[in-house]
This record gives sequence, structure tokens and C-alpha cells, in this order.
Amino acid sequence: MTQSPTPKISLHTIGKTFTVRPTKDAPLGSTLTALDGITLDVAAGEFLTLVGPSGSGKTTLLDLLAGLTRPDTGKVLVDGKEVTGPGKDRAVVFQQYALFPWRTAAANVSFGLEGPGPDGKRLSRRERAERARTYLDLVGLGGFEDRYPHELSGGMKQRVAIARSLAYEPDILLMDEPFAALDAQTREQLQDELLRIWRTTGKTIIFITHGIEEAVYLGQRVAVLSSRPGRLKEIVPIDLGERTGERDIRSDPAFVERRHKVWSLLHDEVLKAQQAGHAKILPDGTAPDQTPQTLSGKAA
Amino acid sequence: MSAPTLTTDTPLTTQGPATSGRPVPGSIPVPATGRPRVLRWIRSGARALWGAGAVVLFLLLWELGPLYLAPASTRVFLPPLHEVLAALGTLVAKGQLQNHLAASLTRSASGFGIAVVSAVIMGLLVAWYGALDRFLNPLLEVFRNTAALALLPVFTLLLGIGETSKISIVAYAAFFPVLLNTIAGVRTVDPLLIRAARSLGLSNVGLFQKVILPSAVPTIFTGIRMAGTSSILVLIAAEMVGAKAGLGYLIVNAQSSFLIPDMYAGILTVALLGLAVNYLLVGVERRFSRWRTGVGSGTA
Repeated sequence: MTQSPTPKISLHTIGKTFTVRPTKDAPLGSTLTALDGITLDVAAGEFLTLVGPSGSGKTTLLDLLAGLTRPDTGKVLVDGKEVTGPGKDRAVVFQQYALFPWRTAAANVSFGLEGPGPDGKRLSRRERAERARTYLDLVGLGGFEDRYPHELSGGMKQRVAIARSLAYEPDILLMDEPFAALDAQTREQLQDELLRIWRTTGKTIIFITHGIEEAVYLGQRVAVLSSRPGRLKEIVPIDLGERTGERDIRSDPAFVERRHKVWSLLHDEVLKAQQAGHAKILPDGTAPDQTPQTLSGKAA
Repeated sequence: MSAPTLTTDTPLTTQGPATSGRPVPGSIPVPATGRPRVLRWIRSGARALWGAGAVVLFLLLWELGPLYLAPASTRVFLPPLHEVLAALGTLVAKGQLQNHLAASLTRSASGFGIAVVSAVIMGLLVAWYGALDRFLNPLLEVFRNTAALALLPVFTLLLGIGETSKISIVAYAAFFPVLLNTIAGVRTVDPLLIRAARSLGLSNVGLFQKVILPSAVPTIFTGIRMAGTSSILVLIAAEMVGAKAGLGYLIVNAQSSFLIPDMYAGILTVALLGLAVNYLLVGVERRFSRWRTGVGSGTA
């Protein structure tokens, strides 16, 4: 990919450490290094996918980008400016949809439109409804405006969540394993729709996934993280041209070759993570597997 | 559990050869479109009859028991239903019942209103500020587990026998169910929704208004419903001890004046009032938690 002179997103030696609550095994408490020295540039309009074993800090990295947490070392820059908190230039799509169950699909989509916009003006109720309808149409959910989330399937909920993120027109879309909870067919369908939306809107997308195939299929580049502490192991460029969904690109030899490359990079890290028993880092910064003092003893 | 058995027995009888008088497909010349509707009428009618059966039986027993089963001496203390209804009619005609009802309603509504507003505000604060919770929780536990009526003498001594003491004790009794449910409701807000709202750039105030409160509303309403029941309960007891008007006073005064049918008329009014309040609150609760899926919404 061609890098523009000022990258859209720029990570400079990012490090993030959590303090683990004292437990019976470790009465003094301990620290958990989730991310260590990550440096990465993402160009405007790029689609970057991020893979890594469990507990490698993928979600932590996304939280840093979203401004939900601050890094301990290094800087996160968006458009050359340091990220100090959440902002409407970035949107997050979560794995578990995170729709507000008391709001209809349309009301969920217009959630981000209710405050003052970037120009300081507020949208009227009608403008908001109009915008919600436009974006529900974009994700293929026209006619479902008045449905409550519990009346929608998993795939439809994720479509609503994507529409909600797009509705306030951010430049950057941060997606945290958004299709992991869906069945294979729905997932493939949504992958193609996401590519279509990306092409039509020109957003910069950072997409976290567990699926190697998904990463290679969607991304223009695949960033592979190492096992904990998360370091950037390698960036694999995926130069496969347009995915128009016309042909079965997944069985293309070039695709298979890239997939294998990412798989081998990830394989060693997954083994390491498994041997160490790493589990997902929870939002409060703890990990269920954390027994730092006796780690080697337990593994034996 | 009775509803499923009622619906499953229909296919069972239609499967076998015609053994009962039930309409079997083909045996009765009913128009094809009319038959299911008639069946549905019969079924819903039967269900309504079954549902009202216990109440009707109880009222019959009340009417006939004193007349035919009880000795004459008991009949004085347990007049049949028609005498009670006649007494009720007289009380209504003389306007006495309306006065007592108005007095009771004013007290319980004021106390209940004070309790709901203060308990919701305090619940939100306690749930949000952990330090406040740790500070207040032991004290709240002590008060919560002190029966409200045990404090009635204290309220009377400090606030006199006027309206203030009665409204206060109602407020006290209604306060704790609302408080505890508000705390529980705020505590159980899905942390993912908070993350999602934060990523959309919501401030603390916006978070409270748009995420925490709506998500806690169903739980808060459960507390409000419990508070409604206990506010009437406590009020009647308080009015029995010291009052110049109110349903509790009516009951006790009728008893001591040996106007036994009047006493029962008062009790009947209390029962109907309790029922009405509960149904009203259930209706309001439903109105506000329409978005919730079936589970738990059918509490009556």
C-alpha cells in the first residue's frame, strides 16, 4: 500500500500495563504488560486487519485507538493529533453488538447524532430519523426501523451496530471481532457487505479478528501480534486486488499462500500463548490466567 | 403451569376416535373458516371461567357459609356477602367511604411519591459512588431490616398523630424496596453498553440519562410495585392505631362500634384498593419495559 505523508492513524511505541488486583496467590498484586512497543502507521482509507493469539492485547489496542484508555508509554496520533479521549472521528463496532435494547433500530442508529455535531449544530428529530433510515438502507435493513433489538437476528443486530457507527460519519471504523458471534454464512455475507461499504464510503478501517481467513480476505494488510506481551510481529501485505465477490478468491493460490503465511506467523504465538495459559484480558485489566509468581511451576 | 396443559389436551383428544363431546374434525358441519374461531372462543371462555373460578367460589362461600353452615352466633361476626355489600352501598351513599378513601389515598400517594423520588435519586448516587455505598450500606441494612411498623410509636411520638407521622411512615416503608432495586438496576447495567456509549463520546451526565437510567427502569419499577403494596399495607396499620379518618380508622372504628358489616365493607375496600394499585403499577411497568423480551414481563 502506498503510504501518504501524514498517516491517518499513527502509533508510536505504544505500551500498556495493567495493575492486577491482589489475589490469594499473589497477595502483593502484580502487573500485566498487555502491549509493548507497538509502532504502526495506517494510511487514510486503508483496511487493516489485526490478528493475534488470545490475550495478546488486541482489544486493549482498540481501546487505545478509541480513546477509552490511555497508553502508559508512547502516543496514539490521529491526523497527526494525539488522542486524548473518545471522539466522533472514530467509531467502534463491538463483537456483542452493544445495541441499546430499549431503543428501536432507528433510535439506536441515531444515538450518536443526538449531541451537537462536529460543526456545533444539533440535528432535528426529523433529520436524525432521515439519517438513520439512510444508514439502515446502506446496511440492507430498510423497513426494520421500528424493530427492537430482541426482535432481530444476530446478523441484523450487527448490521444495526455498523449503521450506528457509520451514521455520525466518522473517518475511522474500529471493529473488535464484529463477526465472531455469527454463523459462517451470515459472516461471509457481512464481510462482502463491509467491503462494499468500505469501498463506497472510503473509511479507514481497523478490524480485529481471530479468523486468519477473514483477516486475509478483508485486509489490505494483516498485522500479526505476538503472544503476551503484545508486540507487532510482522505486517503481511495482501496484494490480491479487488474482492468483488464475483469469483471464489478464497481458493485462489495467491490467497492460500498469504493465508498460510499468516497462519505460520500466528501458529508459534498461539502455541506460546496456550502453554502459558493466556486468556482474554478483561476490561478491568485482569486476566483469569494471571498467576505470575507460580507461572512456570503451574505449567510443569 | 395450568396454561400449557390446557392447550395440549386439545390435540390429544382430536387424535383419538371421538370419545368425548368435543368437536372432532369432520364430525361437525361447521364452515372451515369458522371452526377454529369458535374453538378459540370456547377455549378462551373456559380459561376465563377457570381463572375467575376460585374468586367466585370464595364469594359464594362467603354468601352461603354464614347463612347455612355457621351457627347464629358466628353470623353476627361474619355477615354474608349481601349484607356487607349493602353496608358498602350505604357508606357510599352517605359519602363516608369517599372521605375515608380520599384521606387514605392522599396519605399513601404523598408518602409513596416522596419515597420514590428520594429513593431513586439516592439509589443512583449510591450505585455510582462506591465510597458512598461502602459508607452507607451497613446503616441502610439496619434500617431495611427494621420492620416499619415497629417504628410507628417513634414516628407518632416525634411527629404527633397528624398527617406528618402517617405520611412519613408510608415514605419510610416504601423507600427501601425502591432504593434497593435502583441500586441493583444500576449495578446490572451491561458494561458493554457503557463502553459503547463512551466510545460515542457521551459525557457522564449523558451516560446517566441515556444509558444507565433507561436500562435500570425495569428493575426500578419492580421496586416501585413492591413499594406500592407496602405503602398501603403500612398506612392501613398506621390508621388503625391513631387517626380520625382513613380506611384503617373506618375498620377499627366500625369494629369498636359493633357495625360489623361496615367493618367488612372497609376491609373489602382495602382489598380492592390494593388490587387496583398493583394493576395500575403493573400497567405502568409494562409500558416502560416494552423493549424487554418476554421473560419476567408477565408478573402480576
